[in-house]
Amino acid sequence: MKTIKIPFGPQHPALEEPINFIFEVEEERVVNVKPRLGYIHRGIEKLAENRTYHQNVYLIERICGICSFAHTTCYTQAVEELLGIDIPERAKFIRTITAEMERVQNHYLWLGLTAKETGFETLFMYAWRDRETILEVLEMISGKRVNYGMNTIGGVRRDILETMTEQIEDKLSHLEDRAQYYKKICTKEQTILKRTVGVGILRPRDALSLCAVGPTLRASGIPRDVRADDPYAAYDEVPFKVVTYKRCDVASRILVRIDEILESINIIRYALENMPKGPIQVKVPQRVPKGEAVSQVEAPRGENIHYLKSDGSDKPVRLKVRAPTLANLPPLCKMLIDVNIADIPVVIAGIDPCIACAERVMLVDTKTKKRRIWSGDKLWRYSCEWYRKK
Amino acid sequence: MVPEEITAILQVFLFPGFSFLFSLAFFVEWLDRKLVAKFQNRYGPLHVGPKGILQPFADFIKLLSKEDITPAMADRVPFIAMPLLMLTLAMTPLFCIPINGCSALVSFEGDLIVVMFIMTLIALLLFAGAWVSTNRFSTVGGIRAGLQMFGYEIPLNIVMIGPAIGAGSLSISEIIKWQSQGRWFIITQPLGFAILTICLLAHLQVVPFDIPEAETEIVSGWLVEFSGKKLALIRLARNFKLILAASLMTSLYMGGTSGLWQPNPLTYFIKLVVCVFILSNLRALFARFRIDQFLAGVWRYLTPLALLQISIVEVLAW
Repeated sequence: MKTIKIPFGPQHPALEEPINFIFEVEEERVVNVKPRLGYIHRGIEKLAENRTYHQNVYLIERICGICSFAHTTCYTQAVEELLGIDIPERAKFIRTITAEMERVQNHYLWLGLTAKETGFETLFMYAWRDRETILEVLEMISGKRVNYGMNTIGGVRRDILETMTEQIEDKLSHLEDRAQYYKKICTKEQTILKRTVGVGILRPRDALSLCAVGPTLRASGIPRDVRADDPYAAYDEVPFKVVTYKRCDVASRILVRIDEILESINIIRYALENMPKGPIQVKVPQRVPKGEAVSQVEAPRGENIHYLKSDGSDKPVRLKVRAPTLANLPPLCKMLIDVNIADIPVVIAGIDPCIACAERVMLVDTKTKKRRIWSGDKLWRYSCEWYRKK
Repeated sequence: MVPEEITAILQVFLFPGFSFLFSLAFFVEWLDRKLVAKFQNRYGPLHVGPKGILQPFADFIKLLSKEDITPAMADRVPFIAMPLLMLTLAMTPLFCIPINGCSALVSFEGDLIVVMFIMTLIALLLFAGAWVSTNRFSTVGGIRAGLQMFGYEIPLNIVMIGPAIGAGSLSISEIIKWQSQGRWFIITQPLGFAILTICLLAHLQVVPFDIPEAETEIVSGWLVEFSGKKLALIRLARNFKLILAASLMTSLYMGGTSGLWQPNPLTYFIKLVVCVFILSNLRALFARFRIDQFLAGVWRYLTPLALLQISIVEVLAW
């Protein structure tokens, strides 16, 4: 049987960000898939080396528009580890609350996008309308709807006041009702079930061996969550359960995320009630002692890792970001095999891709079509030579 | 007295001819967009004209002024002719629908068959249009359009024949006359009406059956290469298809122009709005099916049910 190649992206209505997939298709079945990144590389890691640690907080926030708080938490934790300081308890609780609010808004956003991929526009509009509620809460706390600017090295910048708690509770109960309603829809509505059940299967064994993270992994029945496995912020003091579903398909990915919304709302409620009093930040020195640190955070999309190397100055030597989407790309390629063309968008949406966070440098020789991945050293040497020749 | 020729010309060009149909097409698009927006908790068209009623017309004008590209690889003549043919074919059957009074502009025994034939031609034309534009997405979309036609065509035609058997005539005007005493076929053949509605959704290619132009899957499918004036004409043709669909629902099953009073355009208009409401409501309710799911569903459920309906009609008529 002859296969035909269908390009998907970098510009495609189903993709919010540019990424290219080449699908080899036999009739309507996908037999092979090649992803290609590199359309939206921004060089944030390099930029971070030219800024001070404090300036970097605001740069790191812009790695991702949706899970911005997860990235700054990860970065500030790494810096705090190098500095050897412990942030105040109240700041830890505020970080937990904000992180969970971010998870709620991200999962609502994702639910809408997935509904759009299946052609269910009404659910898309409804989910995004309800997402406004949590954005209003975030705006009330931080002054912004996305990129909250809450984190700083040594704590958080804004406090959650007593007067806000009641309003937050109102909005949380509304969000909880809506999440229950969407759960009912996504388990009952036939057209959604037809498009999601049994689509994009990722077996637990493959999920583990291909290093899937976050809701994608938990939808394959593996209860792995940084919040529970290696607690940061105040997660060791807040009771919550790790949501898993065993069906391994897009439907269970939807249910995992809706249940996580409900779980997050409970976490926020508990944290608001049990928040200790006290300061919200400590003063930190400008210069960071020499050393290396790795920090992990469970972003809404999955495990987020930051590696930081310091040489004792006020600027980092190296910052390495491993965004969850990068970890989820190999499992995605596995899921896409043997999928119908019509199901490609919903399977891709299933991992909640955020391409810009995952971009790396790759060089392609246009004559030989060879691809190489260069280390920082090699790139630096190459640039020196290139300028010398000029 | 006005000479008969002038009345005929006025009928063709003013009411219920071209001018009226064009205005109706834009109105129906506005209604559809506004209704779906309301169902989805949005505003919909808002700015051009009162409540945005002129927005579809503004969109049409805007599209006419856009750059019109014919792809280098496309088969030029059929590619350019396709939107024109499409508009003509979508408009022609509307002359067989009685709008003013009980008989249509073009009315003869068997015009129902002509309407069916033209509806099939439109589906075939989609496939041809997709084929000549030689784009991978439009090819996939065109094949899907063809497959979808094989699915919905048979039950659609069966349930359109149902009222014809009931009224004992193959003319739409005769069917309306038969229903004018309040014996609407929607009461005697409710199953037929339901199947007709579902098949018309598939014919109009709207959610849940917008499979041939699924935007998130194949980038609006068969019409991906059409731009500017061609796209404007195709969109206008789509509005005419929506009018035709709603008119068929009213004329065949809901008594068309006839009502409590004398047969008049207002009754037709009210029923048309109701039918557009039904179609728009369904459009906002579902997710999109996959083509194999659609075909399986149609052959497993719709076609047998349509046959059952027509058998009941046959038995009762006999």
